[in-house]
Amino acid sequence: MNDYTHILVSSVLFVVTLFAITKIGGKKQLAELSFFEYVSGITIGSIAGEVIMGLDGNLFHGVLAIAIFGTFTYLHDVIGIKSKKVRDIMEGKATVIIKDGKVLEENLKKEKYTIDDLNSLLRQKNVFRTADVEFAVLEPKGDLSVLLKKELQPLTAKDLNLAVSPEKESYTVVMDGNVLNDQLTAAGKNRGWLDVELANLGVTLDNVFIAEVDSYGKLTIDVYDDQLQVPSPQPRKLLLAMLNKCQADLELFSLETESPDAKKMYNKNATKLQSAIQKIKPFLSE
Amino acid sequence: MTVAANVNQCLSTLKGIEAQLSSLALNTSVPEASKAFHETMLVIGEIKADLKKRKMQIEIEEPQYKN
Repeated sequence: MNDYTHILVSSVLFVVTLFAITKIGGKKQLAELSFFEYVSGITIGSIAGEVIMGLDGNLFHGVLAIAIFGTFTYLHDVIGIKSKKVRDIMEGKATVIIKDGKVLEENLKKEKYTIDDLNSLLRQKNVFRTADVEFAVLEPKGDLSVLLKKELQPLTAKDLNLAVSPEKESYTVVMDGNVLNDQLTAAGKNRGWLDVELANLGVTLDNVFIAEVDSYGKLTIDVYDDQLQVPSPQPRKLLLAMLNKCQADLELFSLETESPDAKKMYNKNATKLQSAIQKIKPFLSE
Repeated sequence: MTVAANVNQCLSTLKGIEAQLSSLALNTSVPEASKAFHETMLVIGEIKADLKKRKMQIEIEEPQYKN
């Protein structure tokens, strides 16, 4: 076997082996969440490289070594699920670096991080003042998780006591002009509905690059022809405007009429509609 | 526009709103939203009934504006 065939055969063999190992190892192996996965990832890679390029002969030694490392990672994962102790030893614990807004120098020293390292990690989290941090933890993998002081955290709808319309996941129903039938079914729609919606927007199916359905049944599309202006209807906003108009009409009628009975009826309904609008308003914002 | 015409117009807007609410209630996959749309639809239905009654009254009182 000459060198070229050797490289060809070993490359193909190791591509297959590595593929199998990563499939077995799962997503965790790729994310390199723990020390063990990090080390075994590097080692498996370098064994493969060494055996492919080192022309010393037995390929299956390399495959065996990779299989052993793969098995160890796998076993470590399986045992880790069962036992917290094993996890703590193998993967290490997170270290608290900042608590109650104070830097814990002892822990920093234990992890052999300098104050510059800490500042750099904080900056990567968009924090430029140590004083802004309430709590920070150094994860086993070496990155820093930061909890900002409450007044510096991003404002949420909950902070403002704001009612927002609940939203579920969207579904991509058309890709490259092809209808994805299982996605369409998952969204609770069918081909007939899609055809009608596309006709409403004035485009044909083969001009659609992406189409998505949101949880309110609204279809948003992107077309191949970027010069084309696709209408973006906002049916819920329009509905709110119509509701407000009707409410104003009812109030107007009550002012205009001279019959006391009718005045009372109009007033009653205007108030009723007003409270209904208040209730439904969060669902009509888009 | 006459009063009768105004009431008529408001009545058809309400009809449109009712239909849209019904279609939204059927199309959304969020149960809370579906419920809210449905409840509003019922309220609109009640208002519509009142308004229809008033329309009839106007037509009896002022038949010249009937259309």
